[in-house]
Amino acid sequence: MLVPQDTHCWNSLDWTRVLYAGRGVFYLAETDRYPGVPDNGAEDATLSALLAQCGQGDRAAFRRLYDLESKRLYGLALRITRQPALAADAVHDALLQTWQRAARFDPARGSAAAWLTGLVRYRAIDAMRKRAREVTGVERPEEADEAPGALDRLLASAAGQALHRCLNGLEQRQRQVIVMAFVEGLSHAELAMRLESPLGTVKSWIRRGLQALKACLNS
Amino acid sequence: MSDLPDDPDLLAAEYVLGTLDPATARQVAARAEADPALRRAITAWEERLHPLSAMANEAVPPDGLWRRLAASIDAAEPIDAAAPMHVAARAWRSLAVWRCAAAAGLALAAGLAAFIVLRPAPPLPVAALLPSGSIAPAYMAQLQPDGTLRVFALRAAAVAPDKDLELWALPQGASAPIPLGVLPAQGRGVASPNVPANGTQLLISLEQKGGSPTGRPQGPVLYAGTLHVVD
Repeated sequence: MLVPQDTHCWNSLDWTRVLYAGRGVFYLAETDRYPGVPDNGAEDATLSALLAQCGQGDRAAFRRLYDLESKRLYGLALRITRQPALAADAVHDALLQTWQRAARFDPARGSAAAWLTGLVRYRAIDAMRKRAREVTGVERPEEADEAPGALDRLLASAAGQALHRCLNGLEQRQRQVIVMAFVEGLSHAELAMRLESPLGTVKSWIRRGLQALKACLNS
Repeated sequence: MSDLPDDPDLLAAEYVLGTLDPATARQVAARAEADPALRRAITAWEERLHPLSAMANEAVPPDGLWRRLAASIDAAEPIDAAAPMHVAARAWRSLAVWRCAAAAGLALAAGLAAFIVLRPAPPLPVAALLPSGSIAPAYMAQLQPDGTLRVFALRAAAVAPDKDLELWALPQGASAPIPLGVLPAQGRGVASPNVPANGTQLLISLEQKGGSPTGRPQGPVLYAGTLHVVD
């Protein structure tokens, strides 16, 4: 069931199914269930081990890392750039950086998957910002994207469930800007345009939302 | 910069969220190279927000992506043994001190000053440029009596044919690094920093051929170190 923007979709517990309709973004409710918590530790241990091998110049380990992570990372980049060529560039550059910096990765500081996610997102977002400067006045194309299973994927980890709970505790607009910025890589200006709100207001939603999110996750 | 959050943790959060403008984001990335606290804050936010990345659908990358990546890796492979190296650098590199130096920056700079003490000159600011998270320096830099900055590679690393390494100076309190020029292929070069030397941070970033066209680092900062006068 489609719910009009800004009525109750962002207030409901599931804002994770994302649909685009014109310039509006709809996040639809589905459930408030939290499935049993699976353990993602083994997966990340595999990635960490592969990174350690990459750090020693092991090409086979790098190929295995590519096989395990390229679909996920390319999907992330494509969601942000919405252009296959830009998404491929972002993944290429990020994985080249991964190979060059693998020896510096320290699993004690953070998970391998989060590190790889960061490398790809920063590249994809940077490419979009540069492009926005070059082609001023042109908005990025918006396509229908139902992101089927987004909620299930978010809730498939203990960390995802905790984040979901804490995001639900935020004010609607705070939650909305944080999710849109992270998943779609939108800038302050793009968020302001999409939500038809002043730039300063959007910035304030983001900052207050992030502070509240940290307090909740740390509690 | 006036629009930026004062709270470093909030700056890290917005960096990870991706809402900073590109120039600021690059400054934060460059600063994080030399600022462990900022780096930890960024890592913590990457962990906090990472589950949201599951909301994007997976997608099969284009066919040629692996081949392209494999070719780039070949081009970027370190060619340590084959690279010509400065005689002093080679001697310096063999010193066991490199392997057990715990306090990387100043201690290494002090070590270099002791080595260079052979020349009867007043102490000059030196810097050891290290990759993030490592204590093995990759480049040394020393300010010369004529005001130029001499840089040489301890471990020459090859860069892809379409890339160059570019040297930057970030004076204390400055918000943006100053470009000092592209490092020559053999890893040795002379630059005119034209900045207060002591306490100035030196950065080496990976840029497109010929260096960043914008006057700001575009690529990742690979090495960083701070110029110190060592008596």
